[in-house]
Amino acid sequence: MTLVHNWHLGRRMEYPYFESRPKHQFAAIFNINRCIACQTCTMACKSAWTYNKGQEHMWWNNVETKPYGGYPQSWDVKTLKLIDNGENTWYTDEKDEKLSPYGVYEGDTIFEAAAKKNINQWAVGYIPEDKEWRSPNFGEDVAKSNKPDEYSSLPEHSRWFFYIQRLCNHCTYPGCLAACPRKAIYKRKEDGIVLIDQKRCRGYRKCVEQCPYKKPMYRGLTRVSEKCIACYPRIEGKDPLTKGRPMETRCMAACVGQIRLQGFLDDNPKNPVTWLIRHDKLALPLYPQFGTEPNIYYIPPRWAPRAYLRQMFGPGVDEAIDKFMVPSRERLAVMSLFRMTQTIIYEYKIEEGPKVFETTIHGKKFELYNDTVIGLGEDGQEVVRTTVEEPVYIRDPKHYNSI
Amino acid sequence: MKKTYSVLKRYGVALLSCAFLSTALFAAEETAPGVTGASEEEFTPAKEVLTIKYVDVGKPYHMDVETLKGFFNDAKGVTVQLQKQDKAFPNGGGSVSSAEVKAIHDGLVAYFKVTWSDPTKNARAIAVQEFRDAVALMFPLGAVEITPAEHFSPRMGDREKPTNLWHWKADWESDLLVKGELEDVEAQYPNMHDDFNLNPYSAYYHRELITSVEVLSGGRAANNLLSQPARGRTVEDLNAEGFGTLTTQAHQDVNGCSKYEDGVWTVIIYRSLITEDPHDVQFVPGGTSYFNMAVWNGGEQDRNGQKNISIQWHPVTLERVAWQ
Ligand code: SF4
Ligand code: SF4
Repeated sequence: MTLVHNWHLGRRMEYPYFESRPKHQFAAIFNINRCIACQTCTMACKSAWTYNKGQEHMWWNNVETKPYGGYPQSWDVKTLKLIDNGENTWYTDEKDEKLSPYGVYEGDTIFEAAAKKNINQWAVGYIPEDKEWRSPNFGEDVAKSNKPDEYSSLPEHSRWFFYIQRLCNHCTYPGCLAACPRKAIYKRKEDGIVLIDQKRCRGYRKCVEQCPYKKPMYRGLTRVSEKCIACYPRIEGKDPLTKGRPMETRCMAACVGQIRLQGFLDDNPKNPVTWLIRHDKLALPLYPQFGTEPNIYYIPPRWAPRAYLRQMFGPGVDEAIDKFMVPSRERLAVMSLFRMTQTIIYEYKIEEGPKVFETTIHGKKFELYNDTVIGLGEDGQEVVRTTVEEPVYIRDPKHYNSI
Repeated sequence: MKKTYSVLKRYGVALLSCAFLSTALFAAEETAPGVTGASEEEFTPAKEVLTIKYVDVGKPYHMDVETLKGFFNDAKGVTVQLQKQDKAFPNGGGSVSSAEVKAIHDGLVAYFKVTWSDPTKNARAIAVQEFRDAVALMFPLGAVEITPAEHFSPRMGDREKPTNLWHWKADWESDLLVKGELEDVEAQYPNMHDDFNLNPYSAYYHRELITSVEVLSGGRAANNLLSQPARGRTVEDLNAEGFGTLTTQAHQDVNGCSKYEDGVWTVIIYRSLITEDPHDVQFVPGGTSYFNMAVWNGGEQDRNGQKNISIQWHPVTLERVAWQ
């Protein structure tokens, strides 16, 4: 084991390989508040990559309902139990913007739990059986209700559920990669995408076992494992539609609820993904305590119980929800970029517009400016331009009721 | 017989230069718990010698255990003690404590018969939680002398000390019994529906469609032997130079047959004494080499390093042919 820095945990942790970050890391932000669970993302992925024989149970992208849903069933509860040492707490008194923006996690990661338990493998885990993969919609739209006779009101609903959109996190410290005794799994230096070499894999299912998010899947037909490939031909700009520019994945581009923005996490503070994650801290990692430093980030749902959300997204939840409910001028502008283009945005620029609205939200002043936000592509050229206020078109009365 | 084992070397170099973790990857692993520190005993071969006895096998009509097993009657077997693999991560095994090995040859082909007890037959690996029963024989490549002074790891060899492995798999045997030579997913899930059928022998096979989406056949498109239909054999021919380096050979030369009865596996693995492949072990009459072995118990979720191994090389010698 070596010591590597995991900024989600705000500390160093043990990992079998040295720290080696890609120059820019494949990453995405999902705004849970807007997802309608239409599963268009799920089908976009399915129809691109997993419609073939032996892949019937595979949903590289899936959307499940919390708290009861899970694909594979109860994957998170089972993994949380494996790392539970009774003291999985966070120390949040001191923070460092760069090294420990959420504070310091004091419990065990999947790697540390394995070392402590002396189980002679790199991470704790389990292999979900075929029946656990079988019903991806199990628990869908089932609400949890503590006080069934009470009406729900913000900030926390007493009767609640929310959707969580899941795909491989292309982790910085992948559990799957650590687990593979053959080094058949590799993380690309150029974009941090994690892939299983289909020739080198021998179907040992150690990745299925030790990925805490359960995103590598075994294919009985080929006797080897497969996983999300982050639509790498699109990321490489191979799709003619974006004229050689990197393009967002299928699941991102298809999102009907416009909840998704995909790009790369890098050092540029004007990269919308980097800004929302590292600077604004509006988007948070899923189960950071697993220790893999996952790269899909979530804007937490504002109505769900905070304790549940803190367990799921770490201690940054309260700040993120406060910020989401009363968005700043810049935040609103950057969030306007969600789903405006499928060309990956590397940098944003804001042109200030007039103030159009002012109000008070939860006792806080809120002002709306109709700023224009411009997205620049890999080559620095403008790829999208939009305004905070959606343009309104008024139909000519003679076309009323016509299609 | 000093060779350059170019495939393995090239592979190693490629891994070092292109993997993002670079050499650091190996450095980190060397300090990993349990990977180092083999005992002296591991470098001392066992005393008992396995003689590959000359037997005139003739031309067997069927290469199956029933036909072949009688030829082993006069061969003297060795009992190989097995234990849990406890060095390289992930560790495991320990459910099979010994196996008996007998060997014969007819001047052209060497046959190794391995028997061990296993209360469960696991001859399929289609469901995610199912693992196969398997056995492997391992030989050092080239002419080597194994002594405590000349370390040659009995656990998959070492860098610059390559081995040739013959890996028999129970599910490959099941595959062979199927027309098209691969148990399809329906074998496990008989009532399933599928839109695309990759099995060229199925009634719904649509060649144009399947070949147009070849990339979606994963391991099969990548030419992974494990994923191929019509392998025509139950034994995989491999090389290794230490943990994690197992590599399928481009040229497959080994085959085998098996029988599971009353909680006992009998597996016969055979190959011609001499092959043209520089990555294969060669058997010379009167010559002495070594072998080692491992057994996987699928019922215990054994696979890869989770296995029952012998931690000692066993000398093996080929009896001279008694030409009449
Ligand atoms: S989410 Fe799982 S499969 Fe994806 S990189 Fe992380 S550990 Fe590997
Ligand atoms: S397409 Fe978008 S809105 Fe629909 S389920 Fe997927 S993430 Fe949610």
